[in-house]
Amino acid sequence: MRKTAAKLLAIAAIATSVATVAAGTAVADPSTLPTLPAAQDIVGVGSDTTQSVLNGLSVGYNAALTAAGNTTSPRLYSWDATGSSPITTKTGATSIARPNGSGAGITALGANTSATVDFARSSRAPQTGDLTTDLFVALAKDAVSWAAKNGGNAPADLTTAQLKGIYECTITNWQQISPSLANATIKPFLPQTSSGTRTFFLKTIGSGTPVVPGTCVTSGTQENQGSDPALNDINAVVPYSVAHYVGQVYYGQGSGSDVQGPLTVRSVNTIAPVDTVNKTIASGFASTTYGRVVYNVVRSADWNAGDAHATALRAIFGVGGFICTNGGAGSTIVKNYGFLALPNGACGSTIHI
Amino acid sequence: MSRTRARLAATSAAVVLAVTGMSGAAVADAAPAATAATGSAVVTSSTTFLKDQALNGIVVIPLPTADPAYDSTTGITTTFPVTGGSGDLPAYYGDIDLGGGLLFINLFTGKSATFKQLHFSVGNWQITGVPVGGTSPVALLDPAGDSQVSRANGVQTLTSTDLQVDPAGAQYLDTKLKTSFFKGGQSVGSLAINFTPAS
Repeated sequence: MRKTAAKLLAIAAIATSVATVAAGTAVADPSTLPTLPAAQDIVGVGSDTTQSVLNGLSVGYNAALTAAGNTTSPRLYSWDATGSSPITTKTGATSIARPNGSGAGITALGANTSATVDFARSSRAPQTGDLTTDLFVALAKDAVSWAAKNGGNAPADLTTAQLKGIYECTITNWQQISPSLANATIKPFLPQTSSGTRTFFLKTIGSGTPVVPGTCVTSGTQENQGSDPALNDINAVVPYSVAHYVGQVYYGQGSGSDVQGPLTVRSVNTIAPVDTVNKTIASGFASTTYGRVVYNVVRSADWNAGDAHATALRAIFGVGGFICTNGGAGSTIVKNYGFLALPNGACGSTIHI
Repeated sequence: MSRTRARLAATSAAVVLAVTGMSGAAVADAAPAATAATGSAVVTSSTTFLKDQALNGIVVIPLPTADPAYDSTTGITTTFPVTGGSGDLPAYYGDIDLGGGLLFINLFTGKSATFKQLHFSVGNWQITGVPVGGTSPVALLDPAGDSQVSRANGVQTLTSTDLQVDPAGAQYLDTKLKTSFFKGGQSVGSLAINFTPAS
């Protein structure tokens, strides 16, 4: 009887922990763990945009394994884009500079073996220059809009042409947008050059041809962090992941510097990016060219090896895996971080250059 | 016996009528473009599925302009031509319009169901069809298994190692054909789509 009660208590505790994760407790970088991830564990680096959701998925996946009595399968860990550097990602790994952003994560994946990096978080699709041997595994849908200080000089809406002009510095004053706006200089900002959000945004406002930022643009803000003092400016404009914003504003996923601060995301071409009723990315915005898919990038050889490592990767990221089972815990976590879940079969599908 | 023969005769007549009547019915209206969308969706029905179908008296007939072919190793391959759409496979949104139609017949009951206006709904990751006499699309088939998407030189592709019956489609077909053969998640075979949007 006592054993049964203890079992029930244990199950209740596990259920509570999984539910808490699903609800969206902020999770720390693996550097805060008492021990390094094991050599066999699946570790990732890269994108700022998806670091929070991967942290949530890591805790959820590991808790699900534990709840199922599985003590042997590789666990999932994800290193934040920023923090102490260099990092040793897991037992036996080579020490590497902490990759900050999708591009840096993908580079680290290519420069190391699975002894150090198993996957790279990416908020951009494959592009020329990526390794043809990298597979981008679809994770979820996001969208990128632009953000500005609440109560500042920026209007509620900008067109694609206006955004292009702002980032090419041919539009430098709000009155070039509308005479009714303030006679003040626009201050466009961009995330650092390795950012997938930056890459995607510049390509999108250029209608497929990446815009080359003009000299009026300041690069280097940490993406999706409205807490950056430079953005607390009534004339600042910056691209922003809509999913990350929804997670920060509606689901309490922000913490520390990873918060929206005084910024609000704005419309593009009169389409609002956020469905404030359903607290999600507006489907009408996600289906424009500002919608994007975010990925986890793996080595094709690892994915198709047919060994225990491949099994572990697919159990997490693949079709029918933890993340991609619609209605499953992973899918719930994805939604609780502001992203739109991809349909069964699409989530876990792969694309490469 | 005579009743069965009568049923089969009625079914055959229905097939002929449906085939005749369906020619080109699935071609969706599309805005004129300098270059029309091109490509195809190739559905390969596995020999396992075909065998199960036969044992349950189910026949699936591709209707014009779909183009079926048979190979004893791989099964029946049906090519549905792309007729339009603004789908974006790598971005997972939009639709791809497909020509042709599908006729499902239950030889045991003589019941049939015909679908026209076939689409691949990229956003929902489903092949849908509108039942003749209806207006709402029914989700019929879902790409599953290992799926690879690509875009090169303007051509988008999707290959899926598995193609499964959608739960909504299974329910619709089971009800319409008075059978319990169709199940959500039932493996049909595989899918390969190539799509070049209009330009």
